[in-house]
Amino acid sequence: MSSTAAAGALARFSLPSEPGNERLALRRVAEAVVDLGLSTDQLERLKTAVAEATMNAIEHGNGNRADVPVEIEVRQAGRQVVVEISDSGGDRAARAAAEEPDLALKLDGLQRPRGWGLFLIRNMVDDMDVASDGERHTVRLAMRVAGEAEKKGGRS
Amino acid sequence: MTSSCEVQVRQEPGAAVLSLSGEVDGSAAGPLTAAYGQAVRTGDGLRVILDFADVDYINSTGIALIVSVLAKARAEGRSVVASCLTDHYRHIFDITRLSDFIQLYTDTADALAEAHANFSG
Repeated sequence: MSSTAAAGALARFSLPSEPGNERLALRRVAEAVVDLGLSTDQLERLKTAVAEATMNAIEHGNGNRADVPVEIEVRQAGRQVVVEISDSGGDRAARAAAEEPDLALKLDGLQRPRGWGLFLIRNMVDDMDVASDGERHTVRLAMRVAGEAEKKGGRS
Repeated sequence: MTSSCEVQVRQEPGAAVLSLSGEVDGSAAGPLTAAYGQAVRTGDGLRVILDFADVDYINSTGIALIVSVLAKARAEGRSVVASCLTDHYRHIFDITRLSDFIQLYTDTADALAEAHANFSG
């Protein structure tokens, strides 16, 4: 795992594309945002989104090739915390339109049990988008940093 | 980076308790499948209790494994309930609709009390 400081970023680091390394990613991101005032609920949701996006990058983007890194940048943009997760998977934007998971269909064997990753990401953060330049594939996650009043009100 | 999940099986009147610990991710496939098989092979109850008290991480692959256990249990006429989920993972059970099919209990004792009542009643 490599790490470099970047002006304006809270953290920027890369991870080998090995299954399980998503947990390193979520820990590093959690450390980077510790002073931003996220509620406990927001932090847990951000960690889940980061883990799922990193899993996708490791598996679908970089094909579990340890020598191809997943790059992660965390920064604050106004009242949002933004996490960008990039891999070398090129243009696979069509994956974002993958079939919506339906538990009833899965229980009836009409959908495979898997396929929850993008669903979880979309439901964990305030905004998510995907960009590709044909070589690099980047998932951008954004979560609004709650003010004091919002934090007292619980889930935002 | 390796990950790990362990599942202990305990038989109680009317229910089998599967106590999961560690991370419920791809590594849980073997232990969870084996534990479920042991639970239904050796138990006399129709309720399977998934106890998440010692679980600190569940990812989308883990959700898929829980879906598979639920599908198998339903096909066999068994109910699956869950206990000790954190607020975060209760939220995930809600948005995935798992909580429509898996009753959630704050603690395992409550889930067992209901199983005992049904078993003796």
